[in-house]
Amino acid sequence: MKLVCLGLNHETAPVEVRERFALLDGALDGETESLVSSDDVLEGVVLSTCNRTEYYAVVNGGTGVTDLKNWICQRREYNGSTEGFFYHYEARDAAEHLCRVASGMNSMVLGETEIFGQVKKAYKRSLEGGATKSVLNKLFQRAFGVGKKVRTHTAIQEGATSVAGASVELAEKVFGRLQGSSVMVIGAGEMSRKTARALQSRGASSVMVTNRSFDKAADLAEEIGGRAVPFSGWEEELSHLDVVIAATGAPHFVVKPQHVEAVRRKRKFRPLIMVDIAVPRDIDPEVGEIEEVYLYDIDTLQEMADEARKRREEQLRLCEEIIREEIDKASLPAVND
Amino acid sequence: MVMGISWVVIATVLAAAGGVVGVVALRSDKVGRRAALVCMALSFGAQLMALGWRGELRGQCPLGDLGEICLFMAWSLTLFYLVTGTTYRVSLLGVFTAPFVFLLQVISLIPGAFEKNVVSAESIDAWREAHTSLSVLSYGALALAAVAGVMFFVLNYQLKARKFGGGLVQGMPSISRLVQAMARIAVVGWVILTAGIIAGLLMPKGNFGIHLMVATITWVLYAVLLGVYFVRGLPGRQLATGLTVLFVLSLVVFAKL
Repeated sequence: MKLVCLGLNHETAPVEVRERFALLDGALDGETESLVSSDDVLEGVVLSTCNRTEYYAVVNGGTGVTDLKNWICQRREYNGSTEGFFYHYEARDAAEHLCRVASGMNSMVLGETEIFGQVKKAYKRSLEGGATKSVLNKLFQRAFGVGKKVRTHTAIQEGATSVAGASVELAEKVFGRLQGSSVMVIGAGEMSRKTARALQSRGASSVMVTNRSFDKAADLAEEIGGRAVPFSGWEEELSHLDVVIAATGAPHFVVKPQHVEAVRRKRKFRPLIMVDIAVPRDIDPEVGEIEEVYLYDIDTLQEMADEARKRREEQLRLCEEIIREEIDKASLPAVND
Repeated sequence: MVMGISWVVIATVLAAAGGVVGVVALRSDKVGRRAALVCMALSFGAQLMALGWRGELRGQCPLGDLGEICLFMAWSLTLFYLVTGTTYRVSLLGVFTAPFVFLLQVISLIPGAFEKNVVSAESIDAWREAHTSLSVLSYGALALAAVAGVMFFVLNYQLKARKFGGGLVQGMPSISRLVQAMARIAVVGWVILTAGIIAGLLMPKGNFGIHLMVATITWVLYAVLLGVYFVRGLPGRQLATGLTVLFVLSLVVFAKL
């Protein structure tokens, strides 16, 4: 009896290969059921996310990784080369890999938290389908414990690693909690959407969208549950805003010092955070000279995200230590007995 | 005397420990921050013991010499920090408060700051006692508002200059929270000062001194600053500047008197 892990992810396979092996939510149960229906496979969990597809299985001694890989390729009707796309781990290495995955150490965005829930969901489905027994039950329970410990004992998930996340982090540094805060997005592109979404996820309640093309503003507003404002009227809204995100394609400054100066008294000089993610910039840098305005451009946000990524990478050694220690401590069949 | 002064020494050492532990714990060490808070709470206890010693000697509120005034103010500052620090979850305020408390207590430990041969008061004027104690108490709150102002300057500079690294900016409360804390603590101080001044006006005739006059001018200046902030609004930096300058100025004037 041995534990094996076979999979492919964003580091080993291009998207056109990953999509061939990715499993939609509805197909997961069938795949797991089919996996454990073989006499040689005693237990199994199938994990499929946008960046990885992995099979964890407890197999009879004679069954090799190649057999498993062939079985998967056959099911996907994949006849192309698999050279270098798949990775495999056995016994302890497989256990450590699962812990890394659950901890977000193997994710495209290092330390991201979504993967933890995805692994949990994959395990739960296998458990409910009767596809797991003592080996995988113990292993996955341990991996969840390790994942939590890695996240609480290291800085692997600290700091924002995206421009949108960095914007939220800055807004929170100025306002604390964003519950009830008002946001205006100038421009209706992809970056505007991402940043508005990120702010909403942290509690921003009122989001206004303005754009030269009102239709685009209305579309984005509808998508994110906000309100579209005609471009000619955005200045009037400035008096009650907390956060302004500017991401238009305008070749000149859209927001100028006089726009803010005109509403300072009306705002009772409350802090205002302005995030300029456009190139060329939308907000005149002189706006940042106004006392209560905190202005950040794309370079600052990118720098913040890069630094956070660097800090997370520095935590990897510590995370590996935790994983090794926890696997050593555990009594896991087919791993360290 | 030896036993009494040792409480001041203990309070001073604990305040220093609170500051040092707090600074070391800035890099997101929550346990360390709690330890800093505990140090300040213990320092507060030692200050109470020291004030009790001086109060017993004087037979009245211990505000008769430089040592007692500094000690009373350190106690008042620590008291407001312990109350507001937990209310606003601005434990970092302790890191900024501790050095000031430490400094005040070091001044009180300078030889001669505490009068040696204290004569116990034969009679107590309740209004005078209330006036002096409430005035010094209010200065504790106003000092804390100024400390919050200093925190605002530090955070504002870091956010404006885009210096986001280090534990200091990470451990700070938000700009909005600091502005709110500054204003509210200053209001508490101003209300207590108002009570102190009213008590001063009720003192028997002949006791109206220059202290009361300066206290009244201070009260008016704080009233104007807070009035402008609440009615018209003020940028956080101007409020912080006003609170810090007013506090330092009034402290210097009182020290000269």
